[in-house]
Amino acid sequence: MTIEISLHRTHRRYTDGKEIIHVEGRTVGECLRDLVEKYPPLEKEIFKSEKLNSLVEVYLNGESAYPNELIKSVKDGDKINLVYMLSSG
Amino acid sequence: MLSQEELVRYDRQIMIPEIGREGQERLKDAKVFVAGAGGLGSPVSIYLTAAGIGSIKIADHDTIELSNLNRQILHWKEDLGKRKVDSAMDKLHRLNPDIKLEIIHETINDKNVLQMVDGFDAIVDAMDNFKTRYILNKAAVDKNIPFFHGAVRGFEGRVMTIIPGKTACLRCMYHGTPLEEKSPVIGVTPVIIASIQATEVIKYLIGTGDLLADRLLIYDGIGMIFREFKVRKNPECDHCGKKK
Repeated sequence: MTIEISLHRTHRRYTDGKEIIHVEGRTVGECLRDLVEKYPPLEKEIFKSEKLNSLVEVYLNGESAYPNELIKSVKDGDKINLVYMLSSG
Repeated sequence: MLSQEELVRYDRQIMIPEIGREGQERLKDAKVFVAGAGGLGSPVSIYLTAAGIGSIKIADHDTIELSNLNRQILHWKEDLGKRKVDSAMDKLHRLNPDIKLEIIHETINDKNVLQMVDGFDAIVDAMDNFKTRYILNKAAVDKNIPFFHGAVRGFEGRVMTIIPGKTACLRCMYHGTPLEEKSPVIGVTPVIIASIQATEVIKYLIGTGDLLADRLLIYDGIGMIFREFKVRKNPECDHCGKKK
């Protein structure tokens, strides 16, 4: 199953500026693991101690996947957006 | 009732069918709490004051530094070292002396927040940190006061409107607390986000249009793209999960 991941601008420095990355997996977690296998420097940005970094937001087909993002099922053609929290004002 | 001067001052917006004289009177009767007088708080306060919101209370604990002036447009070089709330009061009063302005030079915390927001019709999030945003979110939920979230970094920003008991709140979608650090930002970003927040407040107060409720709007100024994501109320949310 091929899933499309759209990366936040902050994370594109690890993918040579590419926004869209195609990955394989049956859950959001498997897809993100495939992503960091392709781009290992992303691992420390997306995961903290095997869990999803709490500053990374996951949207699946345009909808928030929070909570328990990593165990959410995906199907062929699904789209994941990774977004980074903003805090300033 | 609107005075003759107010009918002239707000003439162009009273001409908008969705506002009219009745909507303008609702704005005059409204009380809005603005949390922060910085990058977001400056333009939010300016546009709410210009629009004729009857009462505005602004809370901020900071003083003005030179590095604030690229984006905090209520504050000018002559104000360096002054309290932001005093500078805000001075400029906003000169812009529209008919508005009842109140200022608080305090840090918002979980002990004083309920008293600060009591009796207000709307709370605007113009904070620069998530610790205080969560305190305001909880207070908004507990007091049943709509909460207008905004945040920025660099050329990027986001907005969402929270109607307690009906829509997702901040804790339904966020769980992290970014470190409080010096963030990069250019002044045009908070102006865009604050303008959307003020638009949402005005629409809510006059009861028109579609709010950004259960909808997170993300603005990417570099790509000049607006993206919208659906957010759902989380029944297990530690702030609003039990709220009906």
